[in-house]
Amino acid sequence: MHDRTSRTRGAGDPNHREGVKLGMDESRKAAGAGAAQAEDVRISRREFIRKAAVATAALGMPYFYVPKYSLAQQRTLRILTWSHFVPAFDEWFDPFAQRWGRERGVQVTVDHVSFADIVPRANAEVAAQQGHDLFFFLSPPSAFEPHVLDLRDINQEAERRYGPMVPLVRKSVYNPNSRKFYGFSDNWVPDPGDYLKSVWTAVGYPNGPATWDDLIKAGNEIKRRFPEIQIPIGIGFSQDIDSNMATRAILWSFGASIQDANENVVLNSEQTIRAVEYGVRLFRECMNPAVLSWNAASNNQALNARQTAYILNSISAYRTAQDNRLPVADDIWFVPALRGPGGRWASEHVMGVWVIWRFARSPDLAKEFLLHLVDNYRDAVLASKLYNFPSFMGSVADRRVPVAEKPDAGRRWMRAAVIRDPFGSNPPDKLRVLADAEQWSTNIGHPGPANPAEGEIFDTYLIPDMFAQAATGRLSVREAVQQTHRRCVEIFRKWRQQGLVGGGRDR
Amino acid sequence: MSSGPQAQVTLAPPAPVFARRTLADRESVLGPLMLAPALVYVILLVGVPFVLAILLSFSSATAGSLDFNWVGLRNFTRLLSDPQFHRSLGNTLRFMLVSQVLVMVLAVTAAHVLDAAFVGKRLVRSLLLLPWAAPVALASMAWVWIFDSTFSVVNWTLKVLGLLPGWLYWFGEPGLATVAIITVHVWRMFPFATVIVLAGMSAIPQDIREAAVVDGAGFFRRLFHVNLPMLLPVVTVAVLFGVVFTATDFSVVWLLTRGGPYNSTHVLATLAFQRGILGANLGEGAAVALFLLPVLLVAAVVMLRLARRAEVGT
Repeated sequence: MHDRTSRTRGAGDPNHREGVKLGMDESRKAAGAGAAQAEDVRISRREFIRKAAVATAALGMPYFYVPKYSLAQQRTLRILTWSHFVPAFDEWFDPFAQRWGRERGVQVTVDHVSFADIVPRANAEVAAQQGHDLFFFLSPPSAFEPHVLDLRDINQEAERRYGPMVPLVRKSVYNPNSRKFYGFSDNWVPDPGDYLKSVWTAVGYPNGPATWDDLIKAGNEIKRRFPEIQIPIGIGFSQDIDSNMATRAILWSFGASIQDANENVVLNSEQTIRAVEYGVRLFRECMNPAVLSWNAASNNQALNARQTAYILNSISAYRTAQDNRLPVADDIWFVPALRGPGGRWASEHVMGVWVIWRFARSPDLAKEFLLHLVDNYRDAVLASKLYNFPSFMGSVADRRVPVAEKPDAGRRWMRAAVIRDPFGSNPPDKLRVLADAEQWSTNIGHPGPANPAEGEIFDTYLIPDMFAQAATGRLSVREAVQQTHRRCVEIFRKWRQQGLVGGGRDR
Repeated sequence: MSSGPQAQVTLAPPAPVFARRTLADRESVLGPLMLAPALVYVILLVGVPFVLAILLSFSSATAGSLDFNWVGLRNFTRLLSDPQFHRSLGNTLRFMLVSQVLVMVLAVTAAHVLDAAFVGKRLVRSLLLLPWAAPVALASMAWVWIFDSTFSVVNWTLKVLGLLPGWLYWFGEPGLATVAIITVHVWRMFPFATVIVLAGMSAIPQDIREAAVVDGAGFFRRLFHVNLPMLLPVVTVAVLFGVVFTATDFSVVWLLTRGGPYNSTHVLATLAFQRGILGANLGEGAAVALFLLPVLLVAAVVMLRLARRAEVGT
């Protein structure tokens, strides 16, 4: 009724001109007393559309107009990074970036995301071909190589200023097949063992474990003497980043690896069988199914709640205990990577790699900022409470030291810092084992380089799953290894077809 | 005959020939124009990604590359021989079926309770909706702690009460993880189903209910022979919603178990995310995600037809 009536009225209709919408029924009402007052608050369709259009235009204007104007006036740099496990670092980094921007007339935006959202976010930006200029990853982002700029220039410039980058860092930012530096790393993080000194002292290991064998021996003893500790040894076999690191450390320490130095898949080996057999023993004797479900925070929480006596982690669990003034902080001590039949290896806990997208609007500013960040890396290390280790050791050396001597000087400074922890460790040299972390730390992909195949295996948790399936008896050790090997071969083949991975003589 | 023209003159005087018709007067234009934003929204945010997903599933596309290599049905055939995919498909169906059966039993029960008169009924009804209204991410975080393998409040409570001799590793054992996931699904879905069933119950004519009582029908006879048959159309809609929500849900499984332990609780949505986004295998991820689409379409059509038939029957 309303519609038909509206159509029959033209601009000449006095009711229409007055902005009163009338239908047939309403016409009758209008004749009644008091109706005019009620209808004053109603608006006509025309008026509604006009007002809605004006409001939409007013609301939408800034999105179409202001940015264009401001972009023309000011350069911008958009940065995406993670929410650091040590929150104090972010409190330093954000103002640091803003200050750099102010000094150069650059508007800097820093966005933080949870570590688990980094890869999905990167995929979204690549798909949209827009997003941030500078993007930070926690592990080598080799799969994104086709979409990032070659950062050879700033890697070389940083080496010119501070000497060579740490070898494990080079393997995490450089693809030897394409000869491209797909990333620029400012930091890496060691992954020592964290243990409760009082518990380990009570079972005869006052300095903590030194070998993987110690872990099982002491774990059994802890289980016997400390029944209140639910999980004597807390090494995750779960779908999380820490489990990825820990299970690789076991593999490497038993002489096994996913790929060899030339990127051939060699997982299916007797060394891997022995490593997984060890994992099965460790699980059955010293752990429980909780470790199959752990997330990145679980081992920290279990250690700080004294529900486990040993974890493989960075120092973030310890720093959290300190920050929260937990009594357990003084009881947390550290050991280097454990020794196995194949050597003593631990994965880096974090490999901080920045990339600059091909579609970045301000690539030059991004490069300038990265070099500025490395120029100030001593501050960054301290802001992270010694969590971040510099990728260019020379960057933390005294500025007056000649370039040739900077790497050694930087290492001496790091050693001094961890031996006399300025952040309240008791005793101050508790972090001493980190001084040699470079010697027992290695990269994802060891003994070869990081590559997209290793990245996919890492991000789909194939190695922790291999240990878990064997540990729970769902598959035999040999079946678990063979099944995982087959999947690894498939993944390597796929990436080789794209020319991003070398090798081809898979076992 | 004579009254017609007179009425025309009184009620609707003809518009002057020069009157300018604006947009507001042209409904043939205005209607589509007003609908356009919603349509554009749906096309851009649902339609385009959907078509893109279909295209990706026939390609070997990887994250970090915009190349599109047509591989036909290879992704689908590979999935058919993938044990992890079989398990995920089974989990999707298992979670969906079990949770929907539980949801409907609980919803019908709760609806009958809430249909009765008692003090605080309004408050109870409002509280009942909370699980539905709570953001799923927030709610799942709470459930993560409730079922945490090391610190589970359920375990601690049972221990204190002396009802638990050992320990339940909720997320560490596939069976218990399945129970946890289904529990959260049921907790989320049953308030919504209850509200729908309640609405359906209020539509049942009072005289039919009273006639059943007068005829001496007991509670269960009234439930199975009067209420449930008359509720069938509305229950079907609730089940349809539940099936679609559960079968396509990503957040509950991902936030609770991330598909663990050892990939044993993946559903198609989480497996697709793991393979496609985290594993950078977009083509395979898209194939996993789309696998259930024909099944859901058929289920939806069948259920809607059932509901229609029941409606016509009534």
